[in-house]
Amino acid sequence: MVSYSSSQTRKLVLLSVLTAIALLMQYLNFPLPLFPSFLKIDFSEIPALIGAFLFGPISGVVIELLKNVLHFLLSGSETGAIPLGQIANFIAGSLFVVTSVWISRKINGIKGMIIGTAIATILMTVLLTIANYYVIFPLYSYLINWTVTGEAKDALIFYGVAPFNLLKGVLLGLLFIPLYQKLFPILSMQVKR
Amino acid sequence: MSKIVIGQYIPGNSILHQLDPRAKLLFVFFFFFLIFLANNTATYLVLYLFVITIILLSQIRLSLFLRSIKPVLFIILFTVILHLILTKGGEALFVTPLFTIYEEGVRQAIFIASRFLILVVMASLLTFTTSSLDLTDALEILMGPLRKVRVPVHELALMMSIALRFIPTLWEETEKIMNAQLARGANLDSGNIFKRLVAYIPIFIPLFLSSFRRAEELAMAMEARAYRGGVGRTKYRMLQYTYKDYFLIVIFLILVLVIGWLRV
Repeated sequence: MVSYSSSQTRKLVLLSVLTAIALLMQYLNFPLPLFPSFLKIDFSEIPALIGAFLFGPISGVVIELLKNVLHFLLSGSETGAIPLGQIANFIAGSLFVVTSVWISRKINGIKGMIIGTAIATILMTVLLTIANYYVIFPLYSYLINWTVTGEAKDALIFYGVAPFNLLKGVLLGLLFIPLYQKLFPILSMQVKR
Repeated sequence: MSKIVIGQYIPGNSILHQLDPRAKLLFVFFFFFLIFLANNTATYLVLYLFVITIILLSQIRLSLFLRSIKPVLFIILFTVILHLILTKGGEALFVTPLFTIYEEGVRQAIFIASRFLILVVMASLLTFTTSSLDLTDALEILMGPLRKVRVPVHELALMMSIALRFIPTLWEETEKIMNAQLARGANLDSGNIFKRLVAYIPIFIPLFLSSFRRAEELAMAMEARAYRGGVGRTKYRMLQYTYKDYFLIVIFLILVLVIGWLRV
């Protein structure tokens, strides 16, 4: 790291500011109608997506990581030293960001972004449902004596968590694509200067 | 929209403020594990006693703690109700046609609520008495060994500091933009979810543009001061452990011993 170019400094600062927006958006969450109210939607994936589209998927993962570390530092976690909620958020967000960027780069234009976010949504939903079923719910029940098992657990995951992630992905895509279409010409000029 | 409290450092000069942020961070981290050892009335009482003592030592108003509990109040109530209804054992205290509340349920509900409360209060104590800059500084040093496996620790810590610095600014900016769009007749709180989504686009666009402009300015300022990464960079404020920080280890060991002795 002998030569530290000015574009690197610029990237570092831009990613920091995107992290700040992501954290802000994570705090501005709101519950969706018809869903259990601990499932809250927020748009903190949008800044990560923008960072990833400008600088590559790793940048998106870095934003997701820092967002969750800061969230943990600033508000702690209901599961103590193991921030389960933040880890789940990090995995879901990174998965979504990396998949959508990766596919959008294969297929050009707005079509690629639509297909990318759609596949990312499905992938996030499927993998998170599996993770919730086998890892996250059992861990919660171990850490906070959360006694949701059997039918109640199945119902909560298949009618609560799974459709929630699906809807979250769809909403993110619907918000991100028009946003990016408007922002990209201006941002890419600023970044490449 | 209500004001959000994040990075809620409260300047002061109490003993807790004087502790080294690294020591505090480590203490809170291990304390979080300690909480999970508590499993009966005596152990929870010890934890309560300890937390109340340090709240008093911190010289921070109690109302601020109540404010930080508010966001997790829902999940506390949710688990309490779950335990009251579902946990069986002991005598039936309260019988309704739909469910029965058992002694064990009440016990578990109180324990879980206590665990949440203590976790939240400890986390807030850390952020109340440590400035966010100190926290990221401490994190950078504690994560230092990761540099060996090529994790850019310095860069990540710097990014966190910058992000923390920008949050209040960006929050103000967001409020301003929202008010500006509301004044133009934007409708943010009604309509179905898709309508609301569309209404947020005119808020996000100026927010991103102005934050990119701010980032640009900061990057330029950093370059003007010849910032070139973490290698060989010196610090304005050096962290130094004192006897008070070593005393934390003693306190922690005492807590472990007492709780290990009292737990079932």
